[in-house]
This record gives sequence, C-alpha cells and structure tokens, in this order.
Amino acid sequence: MSPLLELKKLTYQAQRKMILDIPEFQIETGEFLGIMGPNGAGKSTLLKVLAFLDQQTSGEVLYRGQAIPNGNAPLELRRKFSIALQQSLLLDGTVFDNIAIGLTLRKVPKSIIKEKVEQWMELFAVSHLAKKNALYLSGGEAQRVNLARAMIVEPEILFLDEPFSALDFPTKIRLMEDFKGIIEEAQTTTVFVSHDLMEIHFLTTKLAIIVNGEIKQVGPTPRVLEHPNSSTVSFLNEWKKFYPVAR
Amino acid sequence: MDLLIDGLKKAIDMILSGDQEVFAITWLTLKVCLISILISTLIGLPLGIFLGLTRFKGRRLLLMFINIGLGLPPVVAGLWITMLLWRSGPLGGLTLLYSPTAIVMAQILVSLPIVTSLTCTAFQQISEKMLLQIKALGATKVQTLWLLIKQLKIAILAAIMAGFGRVIAEVGAAMMVGGNIQGDTRILTTTIVMEVSKGNFDIALALSFILLSVALLITAALTFLQQRKRIS
Amino acid sequence: MLKNRYLAFLFAMMLLVLAACGNAGTKDSAEKVKKEEPKAAPTEMILATTTSTQDSGLLDVIIPMFEKENNVKVKTIAVGTGQALEMGTKGEADALLVHAPAAEKAVVDAGDGINYKRVMYNDFILVGPKENPAGVSGDDIMAAFKKLADSKATFVSRGDDSGTHKKELGIWEMDNIKPAGEWYVSTGQGMGQTLQVAAEKKGYVLTDRATWLAQEKNLNTLQIVVEGGKDLMNIYHVMQVNPEKHDKINSKDAEKFVEFMVDPKTQDVIEQFGKKEYGQSLFKKYTE
Repeated sequence: MSPLLELKKLTYQAQRKMILDIPEFQIETGEFLGIMGPNGAGKSTLLKVLAFLDQQTSGEVLYRGQAIPNGNAPLELRRKFSIALQQSLLLDGTVFDNIAIGLTLRKVPKSIIKEKVEQWMELFAVSHLAKKNALYLSGGEAQRVNLARAMIVEPEILFLDEPFSALDFPTKIRLMEDFKGIIEEAQTTTVFVSHDLMEIHFLTTKLAIIVNGEIKQVGPTPRVLEHPNSSTVSFLNEWKKFYPVAR
Repeated sequence: MDLLIDGLKKAIDMILSGDQEVFAITWLTLKVCLISILISTLIGLPLGIFLGLTRFKGRRLLLMFINIGLGLPPVVAGLWITMLLWRSGPLGGLTLLYSPTAIVMAQILVSLPIVTSLTCTAFQQISEKMLLQIKALGATKVQTLWLLIKQLKIAILAAIMAGFGRVIAEVGAAMMVGGNIQGDTRILTTTIVMEVSKGNFDIALALSFILLSVALLITAALTFLQQRKRIS
Repeated sequence: MLKNRYLAFLFAMMLLVLAACGNAGTKDSAEKVKKEEPKAAPTEMILATTTSTQDSGLLDVIIPMFEKENNVKVKTIAVGTGQALEMGTKGEADALLVHAPAAEKAVVDAGDGINYKRVMYNDFILVGPKENPAGVSGDDIMAAFKKLADSKATFVSRGDDSGTHKKELGIWEMDNIKPAGEWYVSTGQGMGQTLQVAAEKKGYVLTDRATWLAQEKNLNTLQIVVEGGKDLMNIYHVMQVNPEKHDKINSKDAEKFVEFMVDPKTQDVIEQFGKKEYGQSLFKKYTE
C-alpha cells in the first residue's frame, strides 16, 4: 500500500538558496511524526510543502501514491488537512465561532456544528470560554482553542508548527498531556515540528532530524534519540544535556 | 449668542413646519452624498483590498497617486470635473454640468482615494501567517476574502466614514460643478454659503444644524454598525 | 461563524439607499409628468448672472415666471460679472444678465454676445462707518474717493472682477488714483461677505443698493455716506450668447429670455420687487 504522503526528489529554493533537498520521505497513516532540527533548518518550509500550502521548486509530493499538481492542490484535498501554528492566530469573534470556523467554511449544518464544537470545547477544557472573545484569551487558552479549531474537522493529517513553544512550563505540560490523550483517542496522523527535545520525546512515535534542509536521520523516536548517527549526534547531544531523556 | 439660539429655533421651526424647500435640499444632500459614498465604496473597497493583498510592479506608484488624492482639494476636483463637462470639454455632449450627477462625480473624486487608501492600509497589515492559517482552515479564495473583510470590519467602516465625512462637508466642488441651482443642485453646504453671502445668518445657522444632524445620524448609524456586539 | 449579520446589514442598508434613490427618481419624474402632462420635457438653458441678482432674491421671482411661460428649465449660475462674461465668451452659457457696461461692450463688439438689451438699473452707494472718519458726504463719488485716498481711511474692495469691482476701479481711474497700501483691503469675495468685512474693519465700501438693503440689518456699524450722483448708476443688461460661435448653444430659449426681460409685464414685476419689504424698489425698469 502507498504511504499517506510521500516526497520524491523534492527541492525548495528561495533566492537561489537551497532550503530543502529531500530525495525521498514518507509519512504513514497513524504515526505521530516529529520533525526536529536547529533554527533555520527548513522545518516550517517542509511543513508547508507537505500541507500543500507552498510550492516546491522541483520534485513531487504524492498523496496515497498520486502526484499532486504543484501549487494547485484541489480544495477537497487541502480540506483533509489541518494546521496549527505557534501563534494561535485566532479571529476576532467568540471562542465558539473560532472553533467552528473549519466546519463553517465546509458548510456543515448548524446543528451539527453546535454539537461538535461543544464536544471539542469539552475535550480541550475550554467550554467555560465559549462566549469570550478569542482575542482576549491567555496564551494557554488561546493555544487550546487553536488546537481544537484544527482538530474539529477530523483531519486526515494534523500539522503542528511549534504550538507549545510560546507557553510557560506548567501550562505547556498540562496542555501536552491533554493533547496527547486526545490524539491517541482520535488516532490522527500528526506531523509535529519542534526544536524542543522534551516535546518530541513526550509526543512523537517517529522522528526525523533535519539539518540544513536535509533529512539526516529518520526512525522510531526512541531509537533515533538513543542512537544518533554521525550527522545528528552533535545536535542531539546539545539537547540531552538539559533533558536526559534517553539513557 | 442670541444668533445661535435663533438659528437653533429656526432649524427646529423649519423641520417642524415641514418647509418643502429645506426638506428637498436636505433630501438631495443625503441622496447625493450616499450615492457618492456608495460608488466610492463599491470601487474603493475592492481596489483597496487588491492593493493591500497583492504585490506587483507599479503598485507603489499607484499607491502614491492615491495617497496624493487624499489631500486633493475639493475645488481642484471641481475644476477638473467642470472642464471635463464643459460644453466645449471632452464630455460636453452629456450635458451633465450643473446637475446632481456632476456633484456626485466630484464627490467620488474626493472620497475614492480616502476609501481606497484606508482600506489598503488595513489589508496590508494582515500577516502572511494569518493568510496561511486561513487557507489552512480550508477556506476558498472567496471565503478568505469574506473572512478578512469581517475581520477588518472596523477599519473598513472607518474608511467609509472618513469618505462620507469628506463628501458631506464638501462645498467648493459642489458649488463649482453644481452651480447651486434652486430646486436642482442646491445642497445644504452650498445653500449655507449662499445664505451667508445674502447676510441671512439665522437661516445659514439653521441649515448648519440640519447638516450636522444629518451627518450625525449617518455617522452614528455607521458607528453602531462598526462597534456592534464587540465581545469582550 | 463570526457574525455574518454586520455585513449583511451594511449591504442591506446600501441596497435600501439605492432603492430609495431609484424610487425617489421615478417618483420625481412621475410627478413631473403629471404636472406637465400636455407639454414635452422642458428644454434647458444656462443663465450666467451676477451674485447681486441672486442674493437680492430677484431671480427667485422672475425665473419661475419665465420657466412656466416657456417650458424651460433655467440653470442659473450666479458668479461675478467677469466670470459670467467669460462663460459667455466660452459658450458655457446661453444668456447673460450682467452689470459692467464697459466690459459688456467688449464682449458684444467681439461678436460673442448678441441681442444686447438694457433691462434695469439701481444705483451704487458708498457706505462707511457711522463715525465717518474721512468726513465724506453728498453725491459726488469722485470727490469722496479722493478724500478717502488722502485720509487713508480703510477702504474695502471686492477685488473679484465683479461688476461692482469694475465700477469701483473705474472711479479710481477717473480720479487718477492708484489705490494701494495698508488702507486698501481687497477681499476677493461676494458683496455680502465684503460688506461684512467692512463692518468688522470699520471701512468704506462701494456696494449696490439692493445688497445693502438686504443686508443692512447685519451691518450696524455702517451707514450710507454718498449716494445719488449720476456716476453711481448701476445698469444691468441682458444678452444672448452668439450661437454661431459655439456648438450646443440654446439660442431659441436665450432669445425668448431677452424678450422676456424687456417685456413690460416683467418690467413691472422688477419695479415692484422689494417694495413691500424695504419700502423702495431694489431695481428700476430701464429699457431702451
């Protein structure tokens, strides 16, 4: 069976600089993939290309074995994906309306929207905020709304770009624990960009290390962390000084 | 001070007694100004959105001209429209000079840059990331636009209000292209100028109160629309 | 979903306004049709005239008469005589009603104005502060102007190329005086505003009698100081713009308008105008 998403001979250049150079890469159904690397390694660009929100310079992105026209992914395909960024980027309106927006844009009937929003607000513990303006939330609350907004459309793949990195430690821990439970329950395939080893270790099942636009190592998360190869060892060891996650 | 009170009394008198001419002038003022601002909005809003969201060659030059237009003196606009509409001018065949249509044209000329520029400024401030996020939520292009318009409702209505303020206050161009013709192109501002030159300060003052009331009503309605149900 | 209703409401309001305008338009024309059922749509004629005829209220009386009799829509543009004559020369007006004989003669001689007829007159007066610091009086305007220049009493001029301004300049010229200096104030505005300025600055000012009578109530600091001399005649002429010089001139109605202005019936109306309010005629009949 073909993988859910697949990259073939993909390059991405900006102002003649190579940002991404990935000969091949796969994302399988059901995995929680972490993409980790130093700042400027090309993590966010990779995420955008995978989510059909940006155009690669050359190469192909395949969805279930089928090549998708570059920069022209059909709306139905885009709507199978969801994305949540570091900044929550909520809209001026109630928390309820913000969480509902993905469904509203997909023209889901109102009664179903109400039911689903209530269900997802409950899961992310923001029910009491339903009528509050989303622009006046605390960082943790806003990120909960942001994740609920992404999850409510029940995406085939959920893309996350450092959604926890701006939160203070206790808030982060609480949200990550809640989130992990929700994802495991929903069994959503997730692509998670982060530069934080603790987040990666806690959440992901598979890990790709990207440095200078190239994927240097891929494998089950514990294995990558325990056995970094020659290209990733220096980067990972820096982190392990602070989080001795892998013995 | 007495004059002020007299003027206020006269204004109330004019309104209560249902003075036909005052009513007709006020109605024409309202009609002309609303049509002008409507057309300015219908052109300026899409143009401002386009200029705010896209980047192309010549965009900055175009913006510069629009921003110069912000300070276009109404009499200059009036002069241009007059020359355009002269019998000997390029559009002379339309015989539009000294008609309400001519006033509308001049008022569009002075309000369009305001609506366009302020709309453009608002849309230019939307971050790339926000656009990406909206697209990622599964919005089509039309839905994205609609969503942005709703997000920037306050700024858009402010742009419309600023444009409306300009047209309702404008007198130089309306005088020049309209000619202040009784029962035809006489609007509140031009009538005020005429009554002042006739020395009828009480009437002028009364009309000024009516003008202010009209401006107040419209602006209040727009402000209501702008500030409605802002959730805390 | 974020509130859709704001925009829906805004949109609805705009539609409403449009609809209202549309309705109003049809209603207006419907009324017009009803009123003038037997007649065809009125033709349009542009009359360029001076502010004094409009500000005195005379036009509000005679123009509707003319419109009714001839099924014409007159577009009256009240400007200074200089500008009115210029509109005639350019063919932007069909008929002119003005009061600067010397300048008018030039327009007629150049062939831009035809069917040139004398219509009415009133007179210019010199008004000044009640204290009368220059001590001018009587009916000799030339002597009075000389005295004003000598004493450097504040004089307020229209300075707008209007008939009154041309008249004032003519008097200075006859006196061989070039008015200039701090005492000579030029407003560049209409008669009403210029009188206001004179009242505030306690200056002397040359004005037509009609405007003075209409505005006297606002001008407590001023009084008439010189009046009645033959040099102070303020004569109004009517003419039509030469249709051979420009396209689009409505000469048919313009000719009718000239005839209308000198018609004895109209002349009586002119003579009667203002008598009730001011106890005297603002304009006197004066055909050739």
